[in-house]
Amino acid sequence: MQTQDVLADRHLVITGFTGFVAKVLVGMLLEEVPRIGRITLLVRPRGRLRPARRRVEEALETSPVFRTLRAQHGAGLAAWLSARIDAIDADLEQPGCGMSAEARARLASTDVLVHCAGLTDFAPDPLKALSANVAGAANAATLAEELGVPLVHVSTCYVAGNVGTAEVPETLTPGRAPSGAPLQVGAETRALQLACRRAASVEERINIGTARAQALGFPNIYTYTKSLAEHLLAQRTELDCTIVRPSIVECARQRPFPGWNEGLNTAGPLAWLISTPFRRLPTVPEHTFDVVPVDDVACGLAAITAAALTGRAGGVFQLASSDHNPFTFDRAVELTGLGMRRWTRRAGRPIDRGLLAHLDPIPVALDAQGPFEVRRLGRLARHLGRALRADQRADWVPSGVERALGPTLDRVGTAIDDVRGSLDRVEQMLELFQPFIHDNDWTFHTVRARELTAHEEVFRFDLSDLSWRDYWVDVEYPGLRTWCIPILEGERIQGDPPLRPRLQLGNPPAEVRVASK
Amino acid sequence: MGRAAAFFRAEGVLVGRPAVLAAGWLAANAQHLGQRAARLGAVALCAPFALGLGDAATGQRLAWSALRGMSEDRVAVLGEEYAREYLLPNIRPTGRDLLERARRDGCVIVVISDLIAPIVAPLADELRADHRVCNRLELRNGRATGRLVDPVVTRFGGAVLRRYAEDHDIDLSASRAYGAAEADQVLLSSVDGPCAVHPDRALRRVAVDLDWPVVEG
Repeated sequence: MQTQDVLADRHLVITGFTGFVAKVLVGMLLEEVPRIGRITLLVRPRGRLRPARRRVEEALETSPVFRTLRAQHGAGLAAWLSARIDAIDADLEQPGCGMSAEARARLASTDVLVHCAGLTDFAPDPLKALSANVAGAANAATLAEELGVPLVHVSTCYVAGNVGTAEVPETLTPGRAPSGAPLQVGAETRALQLACRRAASVEERINIGTARAQALGFPNIYTYTKSLAEHLLAQRTELDCTIVRPSIVECARQRPFPGWNEGLNTAGPLAWLISTPFRRLPTVPEHTFDVVPVDDVACGLAAITAAALTGRAGGVFQLASSDHNPFTFDRAVELTGLGMRRWTRRAGRPIDRGLLAHLDPIPVALDAQGPFEVRRLGRLARHLGRALRADQRADWVPSGVERALGPTLDRVGTAIDDVRGSLDRVEQMLELFQPFIHDNDWTFHTVRARELTAHEEVFRFDLSDLSWRDYWVDVEYPGLRTWCIPILEGERIQGDPPLRPRLQLGNPPAEVRVASK
Repeated sequence: MGRAAAFFRAEGVLVGRPAVLAAGWLAANAQHLGQRAARLGAVALCAPFALGLGDAATGQRLAWSALRGMSEDRVAVLGEEYAREYLLPNIRPTGRDLLERARRDGCVIVVISDLIAPIVAPLADELRADHRVCNRLELRNGRATGRLVDPVVTRFGGAVLRRYAEDHDIDLSASRAYGAAEADQVLLSSVDGPCAVHPDRALRRVAVDLDWPVVEG
């Protein structure tokens, strides 16, 4: 049976709609499963002026994800969506998901809960990460138990932790951290909260969280808290739970359109680094860069959700590429340079076309970065900047030179300070990504997901046919330049213009009744 | 009974640039700065062959050997860039006209080139050629070994052409060929309708001797 047949007339509750993956999932479900019963989106309101309903309407009318739907339904879009989409004010970090009794009643006919919400920053405030990733998962699980429906929980492959070169099976060993240490979710959460509350600043809290994550063998706070959530769900023996772990989710290869991306993902900052004069990426060339396009993740997630509805899911599914179409870092670095070259021929600045496009990035060993090592350049820039400060110049600049060139030296000093700022940022970024681009070489097994979806016509997860060269040069890099790198450069990504008249979803039914469970 | 084909030598007939320039351009765009000079030096070694001194096939092998160790990704992406940047905007009008005329006459269009496949593909697509015969770099573990896969295309004709015609159901006695250099003599001699286009001195002499038509651009 195809996924679209299983999901027809079903009521799905989805969290995390304002994020990257869930939005593509919802867009794909609406396009490919028009007979879907209902999709209820649990969304956190932003004050009284932007309740969940308004936020969902805004996304539906301005997000590029829904361009096809908008074009397809034109003036009838609101009516078509109103029959399929409901939005509820919810705060997953609160008990009962922070929903009103009236809103809770609208979930009575739910068939499955897909929990995509989470905090994906690599180094967030640990208190926020615990709240979003652990408490959020716990509350979603409680809701699923109360509704008596299966829970599909979206996690990450990187809960595997710092394991060096390793194969990562689609399993979870409850109560055990990657370092081998015991992992008691309750005690761990309480201890971290306590330590963080004693800290004087957010930076100190991040340092505490990072140190704890690394002590247990996790690369960062994100993977640590996502892992805690998995272990917590594993303890809920009454819960029908399926864990879906994507690896690094990147630009869409087909849907909603090639290159679509949203927010900042792992490859975005790395591509940004390579689009600056920085040319030496510390990595191990033969290590695998496990990337998976967002639409493939959405396909897999939809199919696994359908499987959860028919009792064919449960356990862990991984959505990754390393075990069946591995993409190595030497290729990633070279193709990023080639993608940049092709991009700059079309849209680059003269300096990009004339210089940077001809200086290819290269992978280098962490301890063999030569004279252009970021830390060394940073130190040099720091010394130069300090020496050029007006109060320092009196010590070494002759007064005649100072009178003649003082303003110029000020400007040079400011420029060097800017360069130092950029180098600091590069250094921080490299440190953050080091476990993913250098220290570990994970091969994530995806046999379950590929076998489950092998017969699917639409919702199939299999990257065997993906040409990394075509994808990286023609889809991923242009996608990053359009949707991600501008954010890193301080620009704001504009959505599509709002519809006129504004999209307004109809009033939700008091109790939605769709197919019998 | 096979079909009539029109064989077009790319270098000289369709585009003005010799293949060695493409090899040099790719060498100059190696990933590492240090490799660029070394590879360009290797390409420079084939200059005498490009000037007609020595065996042309050896010159081709030497020129493309400069890409040894270059990744398949780089060769493919830059090959396409080279074609789009330097070949497609400079397709010779005479060559294009002859090709269109052959197509109108119902011929199967075959483009023959000393260039490698990633460069020839966009050119053949642009000209809507039915087939292309070109050099192929030998690849191992995603990297060029520096060797060309046999047979090297330089002197395409004779037994190789007859085998190609058999494989593709082409009747050589009803086919035509367009060449520009002395090395194309074998190709032109193998078909019913040979034609020299912008020929070099040696081919012009042969064309006059054998009463082949000569087309100037």
